Amino acid sequence: MSTVRMQDSYSGMTPALPPASRSVLRQLWHDRWIYLFLAPSLLLFVLFVLYPVVSSLYFSLLDWNGFTSNARFIGLDNYIEVANDPLFWNAFNNTILFMVITVPIRVSLALIVAIILNDPRLPFANLFRTALFLPVITTTAIIGVVMTFVFDPVGGPVNRFLLETGLVDRPINFLGQANSALYTAMGIHIWKWFGVTLVYWLAALQTVPKELYEAAQVDGANPRQVFRYITVPVLLPFGLLILVITALDTLRVFDLILTLTGGGPFLRTEVVEVYIYRWAFNSSIPRLGYASAAAVFFGLATLALAAMQGVVVAYLRRKRNEL
Amino acid sequence: MKAQLSRRGFLKATGILGAGVAIGAPGLHAFRALAQDAITIQWWDHFLPLQPLLESVFAAYSEQNPNVTVQHTVYSPPDLGQSLQLAYPNNQAPDVFAYAGLSLPVPALQAEGWFTPLDPYVSEEWKSRLPEDVFIQGNTVFDGVLYSFPIFSFRFHEILNWFNKQMMEEAGYDPENGPATWDEFRDAARKITDNGGGFTFGWIQGIGHIERMGDSLNSLAQIAGASGPIDFATGEYAYGTDPYVNALEFLVSMAQDGTLFPTSTTIDTRNARARWATEAGGMFFDGPWNIGVLQSDFADFMDLISVTAPPTPEAGMTPYVNRGPKIGDFWISSQSEHPEIAAAILQEFISDEFQIGLAERMDQPPLDTTAVSRANVHPTYVKAIEIFNQQVRLAPSPSVRNPAVSEVLARMSDVRPNLGEIVQGAISGDVTDIRATLQEYADKMTAARETAIAAAQAEGFEVSQDDWVFDNWERGQDYTSEFYQ
Repeated sequence: MSTVRMQDSYSGMTPALPPASRSVLRQLWHDRWIYLFLAPSLLLFVLFVLYPVVSSLYFSLLDWNGFTSNARFIGLDNYIEVANDPLFWNAFNNTILFMVITVPIRVSLALIVAIILNDPRLPFANLFRTALFLPVITTTAIIGVVMTFVFDPVGGPVNRFLLETGLVDRPINFLGQANSALYTAMGIHIWKWFGVTLVYWLAALQTVPKELYEAAQVDGANPRQVFRYITVPVLLPFGLLILVITALDTLRVFDLILTLTGGGPFLRTEVVEVYIYRWAFNSSIPRLGYASAAAVFFGLATLALAAMQGVVVAYLRRKRNEL
Repeated sequence: MKAQLSRRGFLKATGILGAGVAIGAPGLHAFRALAQDAITIQWWDHFLPLQPLLESVFAAYSEQNPNVTVQHTVYSPPDLGQSLQLAYPNNQAPDVFAYAGLSLPVPALQAEGWFTPLDPYVSEEWKSRLPEDVFIQGNTVFDGVLYSFPIFSFRFHEILNWFNKQMMEEAGYDPENGPATWDEFRDAARKITDNGGGFTFGWIQGIGHIERMGDSLNSLAQIAGASGPIDFATGEYAYGTDPYVNALEFLVSMAQDGTLFPTSTTIDTRNARARWATEAGGMFFDGPWNIGVLQSDFADFMDLISVTAPPTPEAGMTPYVNRGPKIGDFWISSQSEHPEIAAAILQEFISDEFQIGLAERMDQPPLDTTAVSRANVHPTYVKAIEIFNQQVRLAPSPSVRNPAVSEVLARMSDVRPNLGEIVQGAISGDVTDIRATLQEYADKMTAARETAIAAAQAEGFEVSQDDWVFDNWERGQDYTSEFYQ
């Protein structure tokens, strides 16, 4: 009742505005400094994220090459063509395979290394952390080019090592063979971004209260039990977050693939980003509308995956709370 | 006394200045008027090796016209295309630009109003100095009006056989002329590989350079007897025919023999050339510009190599490569405020001095190929031009006979995997049935063309598959304008 009365008392001052609007305006004015400071990033978000997304959605409904002004509205035809293109599904499968293989390896390996590096008894821990983080700050395109030399079948250090140690009797064309190119790219990707996942885990490990470890030590718990009953439960929520971030990371491999293999040999390493790029900019007649449809289609598929992941996360949380 | 500006004073001054700019202070208009006499021509192209030559022309023009400055920006071809794609809608197109990195054919850009004609700014005398094969509807001319012209000749291909003389001699072949047939090429490649100790291979190529490999297969198939990607007698795509299949099988045979430099499948042409120059390979297919690049990047290697015509399937054949008429290299933008200046600079590009300078860059052959004989160039470049004069012929162009063909081309979707990707797939072992894959590609291209023809016809253009048929084409003959009658 008191709220209603208060609104009534204001109604005489601003008769044009309904009570709810007044309340919103008051709230906006009250938080004006917050919105003022948020404005720059909001503006950038609108310009560089929201606007391109909305534009892509619009372009995806057009038959348009990006050059001319005679764009033609064709409804969902681009989407139907994308769905029926086996090369899109080839790229889609490559992208998903890339994610399914690299994410578990990167996340679990980084956790193991983080636990080792987090041990205060380890000498030169900072040196190791720095060394593992160095590839992250190196430009991906440069790594792509350099790795073509590292994995070169003629005189490349990897092949020379394999030959000299007798592990192989003929050089392996890691990036030039259909059965090895994508997996080699995955390995390079894991190495390149390993440091980021490591830092996430190291940050997460700082949140485990030392008292718990001390208590476990007093109780005579062995390292495996400490890991199983203290570290894992505390890290689990972080782990799920790291998993999502890493999975999204693996969907952005355009620069690495383009410089490493260009999507070859014979499309075996073509991921969806490269597929989109080819249709938008690198085909004899560019098809910006079609490329946008492929991007939106892939974006929706990614959203679906993220939603599925969300469901699994919620289920795990529920289970954990039941314990 | 030392003048000091307080923080408050500074803010006040900048505020007043800002307000002045916002409302268009009269003082600023006066400043703009003062600057009006100075003219800057924006010039975008992708001719990095020609930069000094082009800029010498710009400098000479500026010397005679001190108020004119040419701002020259050199892009990579894809960057040039993307920059133009962004510049035009935003009214920021340069005064002059090169046609490169743009996926739309010239007629489509003309229809969009991208160009300003050259004709009103040049004399009849100047036009008469251009070769007749330059005046091609849809390539340089629209509705009888000249818009542009090529600075290079159409007589070239990208499959000259460049080789290391010493390796060739050790393989038992003439160190100046190398292998002449496909069998000899394979044999030479084997011997060079055998002598290479695991570090030098017989043949090296940038197979990862997809577009180039598609072009190279087109040229090699013509050496083997094809008239081109399209059979001029029937108007059908020829990818599934014997010359194409045999040419691709020839390339694959080097991979099967183990004489192809193993990294070739993923590297591009520039990378392959650099490795060839460091003796990772004995033979390397490339265009005449190879020697120009060697001169600037690997000068020590220049005198260790020779060049010869591409090998033929059989001995004693007279091979021909048919190249369509060239499109204009430089175009004056419709957004240019000074087309007369742009045209005046462009006219210099057919002067004898410029054409000799062009030949001396050792890139594509100059429009006037006789300039090569007056230029100071490497002997291999002279030899390359001689080979082109013997082998390269002017092909008929469907869009010259019927401009509506360009409407079909502008509506044709890409077919993938494309020809270059098929070459890469065959060499890497992913494509096993070469004939079936090439035929499938030809069928898809035919379907794409039929769809595009139907779309163009629906919009009122009179065009059909017959426009690709040239009954009067004869192998070994330039298809000049009188053949179109």
